[in-house]
Amino acid sequence: MSKRIPLFVILLVVLSLTLVACGGQQVVEVTRVVTETQTEQVEVTRVVTETQTETITEEVEVTRVVEVEAAAAEPIIIGATGPLSAPGSVGGGIAMQFTAELAVDEINAAGGVMGRPIELIFVDTQGLPERGTAVAERLIEENGAVGIIGEYHSAVGLTMKEVCHERHIPCIFSETWNDDITASGYDEVFRLAVTSTLVASQQINWLEALGFEYVVIIAENTDYGVPASQAQVDFMTERGIDSDVFFVELGTEDFLPVLTRIQEGERTPDAIMVLVTGETSYNVEQQMAEIGLAPTEETVCVANQVAINAEYWDNVPDGNYCAYLRVGLTPNNYNDITKSVDDAYRTQFDRPAPSFALATYDSVYVMANAIEAAGSTDPDAIIAAIEATDVTLAQGHYYFPYGMNNPVPDDQPAWMWHQWPDAAVVIQQYFEVGQDPDNAAVVFPPAFQTHGTALIPYGETP
Amino acid sequence: MENIEPTWILLGTMAWLLVWGILGGVRTPNVYRHKNLNPEGTRVVGMLGGMLGGPILLIPLWYFTPKVNSRYTAVLGILLSIALYRVFALYDPDNLCVTNYNYVINQTANGLQIGFIYALMAVGLTLIYGIQGVISFAHGQHYMIGGFISFFFLKWMAESVGIPINPLWGILVAGIGTAILGFIFEPLFLRPMHQGKIERPGEYAILVTFGLAFLLENATLSIVGPFPQKAPGYTPGIGMINMGPWMLGSLELGPVRLVTDRLVASGASVLLIGLLLIFLNRTWIGRALRAVSMDKQAAAVAGVNPLSMNTLAFGIGTMLAGMSGAALVPIFSWVPWIGAEAAGRSFVIIVLGGLGSVPGALFGGLIIGLVEAMGTACFPDPTRGLAYKAAFGLVIFALMLLLRPTGLFGRKET
Repeated sequence: MSKRIPLFVILLVVLSLTLVACGGQQVVEVTRVVTETQTEQVEVTRVVTETQTETITEEVEVTRVVEVEAAAAEPIIIGATGPLSAPGSVGGGIAMQFTAELAVDEINAAGGVMGRPIELIFVDTQGLPERGTAVAERLIEENGAVGIIGEYHSAVGLTMKEVCHERHIPCIFSETWNDDITASGYDEVFRLAVTSTLVASQQINWLEALGFEYVVIIAENTDYGVPASQAQVDFMTERGIDSDVFFVELGTEDFLPVLTRIQEGERTPDAIMVLVTGETSYNVEQQMAEIGLAPTEETVCVANQVAINAEYWDNVPDGNYCAYLRVGLTPNNYNDITKSVDDAYRTQFDRPAPSFALATYDSVYVMANAIEAAGSTDPDAIIAAIEATDVTLAQGHYYFPYGMNNPVPDDQPAWMWHQWPDAAVVIQQYFEVGQDPDNAAVVFPPAFQTHGTALIPYGETP
Repeated sequence: MENIEPTWILLGTMAWLLVWGILGGVRTPNVYRHKNLNPEGTRVVGMLGGMLGGPILLIPLWYFTPKVNSRYTAVLGILLSIALYRVFALYDPDNLCVTNYNYVINQTANGLQIGFIYALMAVGLTLIYGIQGVISFAHGQHYMIGGFISFFFLKWMAESVGIPINPLWGILVAGIGTAILGFIFEPLFLRPMHQGKIERPGEYAILVTFGLAFLLENATLSIVGPFPQKAPGYTPGIGMINMGPWMLGSLELGPVRLVTDRLVASGASVLLIGLLLIFLNRTWIGRALRAVSMDKQAAAVAGVNPLSMNTLAFGIGTMLAGMSGAALVPIFSWVPWIGAEAAGRSFVIIVLGGLGSVPGALFGGLIIGLVEAMGTACFPDPTRGLAYKAAFGLVIFALMLLLRPTGLFGRKET
């Protein structure tokens, strides 16, 4: 008896599994039959009599109700990634998650895409490349994502793009600057953020305009910091500016050993440029100021772009006169969408929306619009629709000048492939302690200068 | 020597250290055993002697086999350091550590300052291990919580009460807050382990402290958000009312330039460690704690309740971690995940100093602080020095495990 019970249980389990499996197939078949019926009835409508048409129309309406109900239970899944835990830039990831969800809520409130709601699955990558691979595969294989948007860290983007390519799923990167992400020329990969080279060229134009001869770069030892600093060094070498790069690990707190080493060096740098993200950049900048390395009359502090964030003054109280790169629009260039997203962001976080948060919001819309335009979730159709993007969103007017129908010409850099080319990049400089970034001086390029100068000298008021 | 390529100097030195170090370390204890002498400590002396003098020192050592003690180790260690410095000067004559003594003094001062702060956190961890036999994987999170308690207390005082006070008060408040956390957690989750109610106490302790770490970090992230925070700096001197919102800067004492905030934080750390040592050595409760760390049963026979001492030790340990965080919140940007790296460093320090040893944690902290500062400052490729900062400490850690697995002040299991 004791031997029969397990056998009986096994048989029951096998039987149950078989029934469940058959049941699942039956549901699918029923759905298909309904759809086929609809198609046949519609075709008949065009040739039969008026009386017959009325009857048949009723049938079609019933069929549509069935379809809508089925679709309501089956949302279109869009994957999104960003760092939500250390060692990634958690603040960046949370900002991206918020605006991505904001966009999805708006789209669903407006009826969704192809009459179906969008379901956003936002996954934590921790800023780790290996996590990027794992989460992208999970989103595609397990969650059935038809496209992926987001990501903050280039190191993660570089691994994710390979998965997107191998699985042939469109990916729109919102804040990964590494040139190689789009330079790979993959059909599936798009970017709404700037590139390291684009940023570097703007900064070097500024340094050249100031007549600087020697610049020190402090860069994080990651797939963002290494190529970004290399791009800066290449540009500087071309323009005859000497440079040294000091690499640091993300998450380091104490920078005094290397900062005092720079301070005791033979040459006083004209500028120190910080290519380190997150709170680590604040530690670098404050410690530079504490020991009197920069900003000073001799050395300009070029802070990381996160100097635009509200917490800058709490963390770098001695950071007055630091310049920083501002990626994204200045408030006087905001359109209605930008204002709407910025308002929602301010309500949530009590600070202005950073460019990558806006870009993430826009990425959701670009992906959703493409699915709608494609009329299906077929990857090829979505990719073709993204290439044909022509829409104005929070960061401006989006389009992709180079793609499958218009390959990147030889005189353009390879990273222009599927690259939105019009991201705004200006250099701003604080000149008052606690200053709002919206009131900081725009010092470069000359066309946007607000105070008629490319640099406000240390200790002076423009 | 000036004609020799620097690379050959480096390779030659490494080969010399490797060959004679291994030979001295392996052969010397065997020689002592062969002569029926106590081989304890001879491995380190043999290795250091081999690295320093090669056959010139090893042959007399093996022939005369003197009774070795810690003085031999100290003298050989100092001489080897001087010799290595001379070789380094030949290899990289333009290095700032060779050409600029003020720079060396300043870096040493930086290393010592940060080392005292490292030590304060590690002392808490080693105290918990010494009494409870448990490594608290939530130690970094207590450090983080201490920083946030101080930050929000200072902010509340400044903005709500209208009295901006010195961050030194924040250290006190953070200490009380994190001690309460420890006093609540230990009886609830760790005491059952000591009462024999847990089948596999070792694994349980790891899991429950890991769980606490996750809970504290994610709860803090939910409450305070992901954006970095930083408290106002310390004012110089002992005034308890801030003289201004941001009293930052540096203090110059001859060739030594010190960042005042760090000086105050490290001074506070020294004071707290000193108070802890007085508490452990001069008070009845302190002695009771030490007794429990040596022999729980004997302590119980003498009237000490080991369970109460466990709770007290955990509370003091978490308090020290919290105070360490509070000391640093005016210096570094503070985020909910800041504890992970600090906790990792503390594990290295207490193993280096000897698990359960308070003086060991103090010296371990100073050694790690100095090694990280000097390694970064003197590394031949200045652009990579800081990228390898953690690695410098880990090299010392690995060497210590190799030569003296019990750590500097550790006791052998009996």
